[in-house]
Amino acid sequence: MSKSLLIISRQAPWSGPGAREALDIALAGGAFDLPIGLLFLDDGVFQLSGAQQPANLQQKDLGANLQALPMFGVEALYASQRSLEERGLQDQLSSLAVERLDDAGLSALIDRYDQVLTL
Amino acid sequence: MATLHVLSHSPFTDSRLSSCLRLLGSQDALLLCGDAVYALQAGSAQRQALELMPEAIALYALDEDVQARGLVQPARLTLVDYPAFVALSCQYDKVNTWL
Amino acid sequence: MLASLFYACNAHLGGSGFIIPANWLAGFAMKFAIALFSPPYAPSSRRALRFAQAALASGHEIVRLFFYQDGVHSASSNVVCAQDEVDLPREWREFVHAQQLDGVVCIAAALRRGVLNDDEAQRYSRTAANLDAPWELSGLGQLHEAAQLADRLVCFGGP
Repeated sequence: MSKSLLIISRQAPWSGPGAREALDIALAGGAFDLPIGLLFLDDGVFQLSGAQQPANLQQKDLGANLQALPMFGVEALYASQRSLEERGLQDQLSSLAVERLDDAGLSALIDRYDQVLTL
Repeated sequence: MATLHVLSHSPFTDSRLSSCLRLLGSQDALLLCGDAVYALQAGSAQRQALELMPEAIALYALDEDVQARGLVQPARLTLVDYPAFVALSCQYDKVNTWL
Repeated sequence: MLASLFYACNAHLGGSGFIIPANWLAGFAMKFAIALFSPPYAPSSRRALRFAQAALASGHEIVRLFFYQDGVHSASSNVVCAQDEVDLPREWREFVHAQQLDGVVCIAAALRRGVLNDDEAQRYSRTAANLDAPWELSGLGQLHEAAQLADRLVCFGGP
């Protein structure tokens, strides 16, 4: 049986390649049919904002890659409720289906996975 | 499942320590290395936060980083060298480095 | 105390109920996948190497080293270190050679950061290659494979 991997993405979408490279790990895992979870934590929740227009920065739209996750079999998507609230994002998210978790839920989530990678 | 969380960023300008503390499981452990050992700085809120963690949470720090910075370790801290770091990574079910 | 022993043996033996002291468990050889995310001048790159050396010295196995994000620079052949400083790219190279390890550098991360081997330098008509043996360029599939093969995935990065 495959080991499961939780990827914790903590970077804002254009703080550097971090957000994109965390996502690439998730997509690659999905492409290999591995059990992958993706958690957006801290500034990582900014990736979920529905109001982004990256073309202004000549950046790619990460949102398109995020929407591809379920197609790659990565449907276990989570966001920290606290991180969303701290950033006033609770009601401004894109249509990507993410489960919001409080701190206890996050702790339990990490527990469920065989391996974790926090970027 | 018990996770060994590894931190290397200074907690004074960075949110990794505070985020980590919020999601520690009851059997988890924390290993401070690099600039994260500054959390041991006496008189700091960060040191206090570490002291206030539940007793069941084991606290470790890489000896070379603590000694390089001339820090004083709290009683609940265990200093580790690299072989002990390796042993800890075997003892805990997984290692979560806050990159 | 008994609870933690039982917990430890459950975690390692799938609940067979055979009691093994936790310190004996630490003595069993484990397979490690080690991923590096930082450049050679980051303390974490040296820390990763020292961890890897200690893992082998303790009798464990390293299934793969995978360099991602800025970790690709730790594999560069072009880093020049002052005489009185630790030459980490050279130490990494020598470690991989001496221990015959599988040292993989993520190709997408490397290209983005200008770390190219001869093939890629030719492919993209770049004037210089700065990645040599023992490092191999490959994809994220190698990271996932290593994570599947290993008992422990340990990552190093940041300061």
